[in-house]
Amino acid sequence: MYEFLTGPAAIAASGIFFIGLIVRVIFYIRGLHWQMDRVTYTVNVSYGIKGALRSVIAWIFPFGSVGWRAKPGITFMFFIFHFGLLFTPLFLQAHNFLLKERWGFSLWTISDPAADLLTILTLVAAFFLVLRRIALAEVRILTSVYDYVLLAVTVAPFLTGLLAFHQVWNYHFWLMAHIICGEIMLICIPFTKLSHIVLFFCSRVQLGMDFGIKRGGMKGKGFAW
Amino acid sequence: MAEGKLCNRKTVDTKEYLNALLADKSGKQYYKEMEELDVDTDKLRTTLKASLKSRLRTWLEICAHCGMCADSCFLYLANNRDPEQVPSFKIQSTLGEIVKRKGNVDNKFMRMVMDTAWSKCTCCSRCGSFCPFGIDMGIMFGYLRGLCFSQGFVPWELKIGTGMHRIFRAQMDITSEDWVDTCEWMAEEYEDDWPGLAIPVDKVNADIMYTLNAREPKHYPEDIAEAAILFHLAGENWTVPSEGWEQTNLAMFAGDWAACKMQVESVYDAMNRLKPKRMVGTECGHAHRSTVIEGPYWAGLETGKTPVKSIHYVEWVAEALRTGKLKIDPAKKIKEPVTYQDSCNYIRNGGLKDISREIMSYIAEDFREMSPNREHNFCCGGGGGFNGIGRYRQQRNAGLQIKRQQILDTGAKLVISPCHNCWDAIRDMEEVFKDGIRWSFLKPLLINMVEVPEHLKPED
Amino acid sequence: MFEKILFATTATPACDHAAHVAFDLAKKYNSSLHLFHVFGLPSHGFGQQVTDVRTGKADDYGTRYVEAIKKELQEMYADEIGDNSDYQIESVIGVPHREVLRMARKENADLIVMGAHSRQEEPGATRYRSVVGSTMQRVAKGARCPVLIVSRPCTTCLWYFSNIIFGTDFSKASYSAFLFAYQLAKEIGSKLWLFHALDISAMHAGKTLEQDEIEAQIAKAKQKIKDTYVSQMTDYDNYEIDVLEGIPYVEILKYARAKNGDLIVMSHHTREVDPEQALLGSTVEQVVLRASCPVASVNRPDKVADLKLTPQADATESEGG
Ligand code: SF4
Ligand code: SF4
Repeated sequence: MYEFLTGPAAIAASGIFFIGLIVRVIFYIRGLHWQMDRVTYTVNVSYGIKGALRSVIAWIFPFGSVGWRAKPGITFMFFIFHFGLLFTPLFLQAHNFLLKERWGFSLWTISDPAADLLTILTLVAAFFLVLRRIALAEVRILTSVYDYVLLAVTVAPFLTGLLAFHQVWNYHFWLMAHIICGEIMLICIPFTKLSHIVLFFCSRVQLGMDFGIKRGGMKGKGFAW
Repeated sequence: MAEGKLCNRKTVDTKEYLNALLADKSGKQYYKEMEELDVDTDKLRTTLKASLKSRLRTWLEICAHCGMCADSCFLYLANNRDPEQVPSFKIQSTLGEIVKRKGNVDNKFMRMVMDTAWSKCTCCSRCGSFCPFGIDMGIMFGYLRGLCFSQGFVPWELKIGTGMHRIFRAQMDITSEDWVDTCEWMAEEYEDDWPGLAIPVDKVNADIMYTLNAREPKHYPEDIAEAAILFHLAGENWTVPSEGWEQTNLAMFAGDWAACKMQVESVYDAMNRLKPKRMVGTECGHAHRSTVIEGPYWAGLETGKTPVKSIHYVEWVAEALRTGKLKIDPAKKIKEPVTYQDSCNYIRNGGLKDISREIMSYIAEDFREMSPNREHNFCCGGGGGFNGIGRYRQQRNAGLQIKRQQILDTGAKLVISPCHNCWDAIRDMEEVFKDGIRWSFLKPLLINMVEVPEHLKPED
Repeated sequence: MFEKILFATTATPACDHAAHVAFDLAKKYNSSLHLFHVFGLPSHGFGQQVTDVRTGKADDYGTRYVEAIKKELQEMYADEIGDNSDYQIESVIGVPHREVLRMARKENADLIVMGAHSRQEEPGATRYRSVVGSTMQRVAKGARCPVLIVSRPCTTCLWYFSNIIFGTDFSKASYSAFLFAYQLAKEIGSKLWLFHALDISAMHAGKTLEQDEIEAQIAKAKQKIKDTYVSQMTDYDNYEIDVLEGIPYVEILKYARAKNGDLIVMSHHTREVDPEQALLGSTVEQVVLRASCPVASVNRPDKVADLKLTPQADATESEGG
């Protein structure tokens, strides 16, 4: 079971994840239309690139944009959540050990206590995000079951991983659950709005180009995101 | 499929139809017919298929429902933070729903969509600069308005407005003769005070071709005279086209893309015909947006640029003051506190934030910024056609509160507003709230402030 | 004399006296009369809404409403119209002074007659473009033909006027006013009072003038009146010249009173190019609002350079209205 899950199943899940995301990017780009979107993607390219970079950079760093600065609380939660989501699985010792064993390479790693802390922070942030969804009328109205399901899908590998790591109750059970959840998440990503892990960049680049090329980017200093 | 006599999916291309619409007081019959107007779901589906491209599809899909955009929207703030005014909700419950149902929506739904598209969004795009993904509801509502228009669900005034453009190539019923005559008239009326003043029509190879807003010849021809006086004082070699002089575009507010194209092409034709070095447009935000920023795309110009370089009036003013073509009499600078209304269309969506500050540095001694300002400024409250639609007067008036508070907070009683829409909104605000706020275009203020060269002064 | 008379009315009783004069004149000089009322201010952007100038109410007034207004005007002035058939009634939407000027130009009017259009009566209009200045003031400034403003009952008919006061500031526009005043006086046989007010407040702010200095200025001004105006008059000696010092509008009013003026003719004070600066209103406006007789504002030579001052068909008829 473990062998299957970390072997063929993992390969399949990662395959779907990577290929899925690549396909999404390709479809995104193919679906752009200079006249319909009213952005000359292929003319005035230098302005486009400049606009795209400004747009991405301002928003990828915490408090890098007026929008982030306007709401420090959620921005803080949001970045902790995403930082944890991204870095914990990538640099976890156990994951890299597995990588080395199966694929013969590994990444730089973080210590287990650090990973532990990150995971907990991620879960806490997720908890606050849920609270926020329930508490704030303007978020509540946007929220549907789908949002909670996706949040659960995203958080499940972390929760199960944490439980497994601390060997609460049955290590083996939590480990299996962890792997399954992780793979479910990977598979879900390209097919749901979790695809924003690449489409975030697509969208920001696109809007950056829009402002960089057409909406004022050629005049003055460019949009102060 | 049921269509009304006035309210239907047809475009207004004849004077008969236009007059019939105009005769229908307040659009009473028009809106009545709308209740019976069938939705052509096949057409809606095919339109979606052909025009809803990855950008909008992606936006609809990846919206994280995070609500970060909520208080970026002035209408949300102005309506006591009504959750139904959250930008994401507004678009998801309309366009999002149409897409989800693949166009299978009914009359009642479409009427709700129309009301949302025109009374809950001014297409100011402020939310787009506050959403982490850069999801721009202004653009999406623009698209949605196009869908509504193609199905005949469009506010009465805008059906008329786009009809005007289709028939007269102007937002009001002004023929080329009326227009040229108005130019002559204004030159006549003002030449006593400004010797040598002329409004040259159809001069080829001029440095500047001036385009404007049909309301100026229709109701406020002084604006034309004022523009002429300033060009005259600056010694510009300028002209106006006898055709293709209308820079504004209500078709853009209406979502009538075909008419948008017709309108901007009439201006581009004038450019090609008169070959000016550049075009200067009047103090209007949406006119600049439609003719200079978006227009080239409607017309299919692959460079994304107008046939000749085109600038907004504030750019010309800044340049004239910078280079000394126009000189401000230091004693006549504005002494009282004064603030500046950043128009969404040429500041946020046109990049002219610094230009306007430059002008203020030349003409005002006590310039007060609103907060927020520049590209993050709030919509005046009347953009995107909101000002002109009687059906949404209540909603519009409610929306004015945010701008009002911003203005009051500056402590200034004078608002410079080089945009017809903002200007209107602030005027109406004064009508509703009576705060004693004054508002002005740049032109009349400049005329009072500039030094008149000796040889251009009247004799006695 | 006046082939076309444009009577611009607010359609309120404030314009009744003006109406009377306008119809009278039209009858006397066989003029065609254009009854014109700007009923609504355009408002709210490109929308169809209009603010009714009389009620201040905003609504979508469709084409039918315009017809109703015309009918109302017809009834309102039925007595004045009488059996006169050479008249037209028109009502439009727009900014009043602009539309009056537009119509005067389109119809090539020889004379505009209007009521005082006092500011109190157009609360919306004056604030409308955030510009101070009344409709009357703006029409007076922009019109190419004489503008006759009648705000009080006019006891005698124009052609019985015996004292015409011409107030000058020696501007180019004043010359046109002179032509009108002179030709009119000559035609109807009234006395012409050529008057100038020495505007001491404007000339020497802060410093008091010596009496003899004032005397000298007055003498100079009198000479100027002779050189500029009297020299142009032929076969006419029923005139008098006066120069007084003071604030122009006050002096003119006092003078008109003293001389039993039936009509004041003057030009729009050209130095007051900017109505916003003249918060209290221009000299013309002040005079109009306070004078007990009608005031004619003439600024341009177009219609007065060679007035045909002989009433055509009814030249012999002396009774008149
Ligand atoms: S574009 Fe402007 S009005 Fe429309 S939803 Fe966004 S912020 Fe609100
Ligand atoms: S901020 Fe952007 S992602 Fe968040 S709810 Fe608004 S549109 Fe959606």
